[in-house]
Amino acid sequence: MTDSTPHSPNSSPSPTRRSFLGTSGALMAAAIAVPTVLTRCRTLADTVPPPSPSESKGKAIRIGVIGCGGRGTGAAFDALKASPDTTIVALGDLFPDRVQGAAAGLAKNPRGVVPSSACFSGFDAYRKVLATDCDMVILATSPGFRPTHFAAAVDAGKHIFFEKPVAVDPSGIRTVLDASARAADRKLCIVTGTQRRHERCYIEAMAKIQDGAIGRPIAARCYWNQGGLWNKTPDPKLSEIENQIRNWLYYTWLSGDHIVEQHVHNIGVLNWAMGGAPLRCVATGGRQVRTEPAFGAINDHFSIHYEYSDDRLGASMCRQQDNTDGKVEEIIYGTEGTMLTTSGSAQCRGRNTWTFAGENPNPYVVEHVDLQEAVRGNAPYINEGKRIAESTMTAIMGRMSAYTGKDLEWSAALADPMDLVPKDPKPGPGMVQKVAMPGLA
Amino acid sequence: MTTEQTSGGITRRDFVAISSAAGMAAFIAPSVLGAQDTGSSLKPLKVALIGCGGRGSGAANQALKADKGVILWAVADVFPDRMDSCLKQFEKHPSKDRVQVPAERRFSGFDGYKQAIASGVDVVLLCSAPHFRPMHLAEAVAAGKHIFCEKPMFVDAPGYRSVVESVKAAKAKNINLMSGFCWRRSAPEAATFAQLEKGTLGTPMAMYSCYYTGPLGTNKRQPGWSDMEFQVRNWQHFTWLSGDQMVEQAVHSVDKVNWCFRNEPPKSAVGMGGRQLREAMPERGDVYDHFAIVYEWADGRRAFLNCRQEPDCYFENTDWIAGTKGQCFINGWGPTHVMKDPAGNVLWEYPADAPKSDMYQNEHDELFKAIRDGKVINDGEWMVVSNMMAVLGRMAAYSGQQVTWEQAIASTESLSPKQYIMGPLEMPLEKKPGQYKVV
Repeated sequence: MTDSTPHSPNSSPSPTRRSFLGTSGALMAAAIAVPTVLTRCRTLADTVPPPSPSESKGKAIRIGVIGCGGRGTGAAFDALKASPDTTIVALGDLFPDRVQGAAAGLAKNPRGVVPSSACFSGFDAYRKVLATDCDMVILATSPGFRPTHFAAAVDAGKHIFFEKPVAVDPSGIRTVLDASARAADRKLCIVTGTQRRHERCYIEAMAKIQDGAIGRPIAARCYWNQGGLWNKTPDPKLSEIENQIRNWLYYTWLSGDHIVEQHVHNIGVLNWAMGGAPLRCVATGGRQVRTEPAFGAINDHFSIHYEYSDDRLGASMCRQQDNTDGKVEEIIYGTEGTMLTTSGSAQCRGRNTWTFAGENPNPYVVEHVDLQEAVRGNAPYINEGKRIAESTMTAIMGRMSAYTGKDLEWSAALADPMDLVPKDPKPGPGMVQKVAMPGLA
Repeated sequence: MTTEQTSGGITRRDFVAISSAAGMAAFIAPSVLGAQDTGSSLKPLKVALIGCGGRGSGAANQALKADKGVILWAVADVFPDRMDSCLKQFEKHPSKDRVQVPAERRFSGFDGYKQAIASGVDVVLLCSAPHFRPMHLAEAVAAGKHIFCEKPMFVDAPGYRSVVESVKAAKAKNINLMSGFCWRRSAPEAATFAQLEKGTLGTPMAMYSCYYTGPLGTNKRQPGWSDMEFQVRNWQHFTWLSGDQMVEQAVHSVDKVNWCFRNEPPKSAVGMGGRQLREAMPERGDVYDHFAIVYEWADGRRAFLNCRQEPDCYFENTDWIAGTKGQCFINGWGPTHVMKDPAGNVLWEYPADAPKSDMYQNEHDELFKAIRDGKVINDGEWMVVSNMMAVLGRMAAYSGQQVTWEQAIASTESLSPKQYIMGPLEMPLEKKPGQYKVV
């Protein structure tokens, strides 16, 4: 049967991230295994030029990078693209080879050349980056460390590009909320890596919803369904905890599990459309295909039902299982129509019809433009810390419910003492995690 | 979503969950024992019960209560001990005089159903493990018997096609065919869906239905049991026998989705699920312990269905419908049946003081009344859609693919074993999304 709906992956007008993820087979697995495409696989949107740098001239911004994997390096390049008055001045990562790799890559851009004296490795590399005279930092390590790095960056008085997710547990979320408030007091600008908030098709779609294009939003649904990601074979020269960090996707204390690490993008859109975080949730999930120890103890699928204010439903699904159908999108149901959104497109159906048709500049660059313009004072002060903390917490709450089989209230989940991340990590044994057994935990 | 848990009373679901003999014996609680039944001058309606587990025993009890002329005349079950334990429960039943099943009308083995149907009865109650239902139904229709057909009616697409044919044949023969989708015979649900049909909620755009419950019981393997006997006695844990939770149990919720969407099959389904407690509960065959399905219709309407059988987790068995004029909440166990507009004003509510009735009893009351009145009830057209939607959801979850309705109903995969004999039988392996294909 031919799938004739406009949001079918088969009928996409151009190869987008969705159709990319929908591709099955070894080709896709190989493509995804490249660290630079990690969870923010580049699309044709990258070929759309960002806003002209001439519009963004102003005060020079010196940037330090904390976390030099694919995402940190990619964000550094995006920051350089966003305006000409930016330079990368320091690099930090747990692993020396990561720092060297990033330094070599960034040196292709004259503004990205970092002297070896400003390249730091080890668990305390972030402190050394923060001790430089950079104005802004990119926080892009494994998510488990993000709250600590964020709080330290705020206390060091830096503006922050704050990659998602921003925590893996409620303790981390509370740290982020506190630090976000301190950042506001000091007018430190914070933009987060949920780039849909800076993507024109999303911004216009949400504005239309605000204007009543679909009536009152009554339900919403989102997917991040795709195949597996890369997996690193343990390096015998590294300690167990370092190997876990090297293969961080598969450890909840580091990634938050894939619902938090990846699906937070779509969950954040649901919160955007529904006007805030949900009140409670009930979730299922499991580890059906990826059962080998190489995949740590995380799940390979989740399904969450969120309850938003006034008993409105938010349904989410995410999976990482090879050779399954891929789809990454959101749909909002209103009393008078629906709004379908995905990277690069948006469409309204029902009483009002509309299809996003404008230019859609690369949102990974736009988010840096928006941050830098605010830092320079050319745009109003921006602080997305609280909002990304809520989006991340929404995903964490879903994971907690799926792991335990319990329904969860937002307030109880946020107050939960769960704290998965060691305070003073050092080379040695890894963290122990068992596969979640709902009801038997 | 609401916080109420499922009813504490004995329900049909409990019958399935209780597998011990003690649990079985308890099904006719003293409180339901009425005055001694002295029989009736009505023309006798002889009934054969096929499948003598908890559900079959319950259905026989309801048939006896439904009509004073009902005589339980024959029983069949793969296992003789199941027939005996079932009939033992009727020794002190108010209608025990109408339970007339001597040893020669107790038919065991895989073929026992044929003899029971041929034993001179008017009505058959089809209550075996779901796998066998299509063949039982086909035989009963061929013999021209009125039928109570427990859900699910089939576990795979070949079963669907067989039942579709049986439904047509039953219609041609004017045979009563009452399905075991009990919510259809529950007064508050019927009133709620009638309001939906009237448009009180506008057009239903989305529905969320959930069946979060605990695991079903197991029968520990006994010395001397063949592989086949072990599996059939633990049918609820094997997909080939039960259809898995989606098809065996959550199909009740799927049926309400089908009711809401007016028996229009969805275009496709996307689903996921798994067997998360496999290490903790290894005796549980190849079935999953959780599913999440999204059904999509051609015009973009969707239904979300989640179910779980895991212990000590959150329990909920409710429905939520978002229409263009408001929302509907259904908790049949609550009971809550209410429609509200976006401002929270009640558009309609099932009156709290309305008469209560037992939906399981209603099924049999209606069936036997129709037989007496010379009328014909045939639930076939919608029951096959509800059942097949559940199979479609399972296919989507097992395969990890988007599966269309057409693909599902054309599937050639038969879950039947090569032969029905008590002997060696491979333990089926759980399905892995991305590896299992819908064929």
